[in-house]
Amino acid sequence: MDVSVTVNGTTYARDVEPRKLLIHFLRDDLDLTGSHIGCDTGNCGACSVIVDGVLVKSCMLLAVQADGASIETVEGISENGELTPLQQSFNEHHALQCGYCTPGMLMSATALLRDNASPSDAEIKKALQGNICRCTGYWNIFEAVKAVAK
Amino acid sequence: MELLRPSSVEELDGGVFVHGGTEVVPLLRDGLLEAETLVDVRGVVPRGVSDGVIGAGTTLGELEVEPSIPDALREACRLAASPQLRNMGSLGGNLLQSSRCWYWRLDYPCRLHGGDRCHARDGEHREHAIFANDFCASAHPSDVAAALVALGARLRTNRRELRVEELYRLPDEADRHTTTLEDGELILEVELPDVEASVYLKAMDRKRWSFPQVGVAAARVGGGVRIALAGVAPIPWRIDSIEALDNATPLPRTEWKLPLARALVGRALAQLD
Ligand SMILES: Cc1cc2nc3c(=O)[nH]c(=O)nc-3n(C[C@H](O)[C@H](O)[C@H](O)COP(=O)(O)OP(=O)(O)OC[C@H]3O[C@@H](n4cnc5c(N)ncnc54)[C@H](O)[C@@H]3O)c2cc1C
Ligand code: SF4
Ligand code: FES
Ligand code: FES
Repeated sequence: MDVSVTVNGTTYARDVEPRKLLIHFLRDDLDLTGSHIGCDTGNCGACSVIVDGVLVKSCMLLAVQADGASIETVEGISENGELTPLQQSFNEHHALQCGYCTPGMLMSATALLRDNASPSDAEIKKALQGNICRCTGYWNIFEAVKAVAK
Repeated sequence: MELLRPSSVEELDGGVFVHGGTEVVPLLRDGLLEAETLVDVRGVVPRGVSDGVIGAGTTLGELEVEPSIPDALREACRLAASPQLRNMGSLGGNLLQSSRCWYWRLDYPCRLHGGDRCHARDGEHREHAIFANDFCASAHPSDVAAALVALGARLRTNRRELRVEELYRLPDEADRHTTTLEDGELILEVELPDVEASVYLKAMDRKRWSFPQVGVAAARVGGGVRIALAGVAPIPWRIDSIEALDNATPLPRTEWKLPLARALVGRALAQLD
């Protein structure tokens, strides 16, 4: 089926097998490998992307369901090649070790900060509920987000 | 496989419905669901809340912050799944999620799949049912369904109106379905009665984002109290009173759910007072 999506401002039109998950479409067809596949079952959040302004898990969505949508992935959040304050903060707070969860964490935190520039501690924790990290113990990730919250 | 995107009920003609896809997509991927045609119903099913009527396409994420709905429903949505999944998952889809029994998900030829044996009863069943578990011991996973049953909500489909509890049936030898939904029947709206007070309490393996070990919804509606439980029977389970828990038939490794259910029902009723 023909699918046309805008990803990080660029429009892509492709013929897509209807069974293909959005995460596989992004990674394999568009070569945007920033979004990770941690579980493929909707659990880990490593595949989180923003579709039409809404944070979703791209392993739970078929690419054809996203036809016509505007998608943001971790590759698109930096501005003019510069890391965003959130990305900088992840770096400064050692909010990653292996980095596997990081794209998803960044997307969840980005979505949070867009809706709510000054989240409370509880709101930060809630926004990261759907993302699993097996390395950091979460605390540094929380601190990194908190540091950029106003 | 093809995907259709109808924009009106009249255009519907067979196929497997998909809304958010958080259940359909994993089932397709695991080969538990076969579909020649997927029908994206987002253009057909109403979305949003007005005057006690909720579009079945409203997401759990929208409902968890909706001030006009009863506490039990808002809380059931808030405690379900994870933020991303609540952004995707619809109310209608949530009511129709399949069994989370691991044997069923791994495609064991068990009774719910049409076979002649319940692998969970003889095998691993820590998460399973304490009521109506003779034929299939699966535990219904929907927090939202338990809340809607307790609230006395009604459904409007493209074919009929029914109480939410009438959507569910226990599977048996002759018919393995756990819902009464017909082929091609689409849930359009959920209608809530006037509710005086309601509460939803949920015990989970971890504090966030897990299916209910036991979920308890209680509501004061029309002068009476209604109680419904998630995670205790193959379908959302209504009980008349806390004493009804004495009639549970736990399996050897689901006995732990009984004191949990007792405590939560007690707490829920106390909160209604
Ligand atoms: C990791 C994970 C954790 C979860 N945790 C919880 C939890 O703790 N508590 C809980 O309650 N739920 C939980 N869920 C379930 C989740 O809430 C549901 O998957 C979601 O709400 C389904 O909505 P959907 O729109 O994505 O459904 P879909 O996947 O689109 O559809 C699900 C089913 O409903 C049918 N359908 C969809 N809409 C309609 C309609 N309007 N009329 C008729 N048929 C329809 C589809 O054909 C399909 O059979 C969890 C899911 C996952 C993956
Ligand atoms: S509990 Fe139900 S779904 Fe699970 S193995 Fe038994 S019959 Fe199958
Ligand atoms: S890969 Fe999508 S949630 Fe884990
Ligand atoms: S840094 Fe390794 S999983 Fe989070």
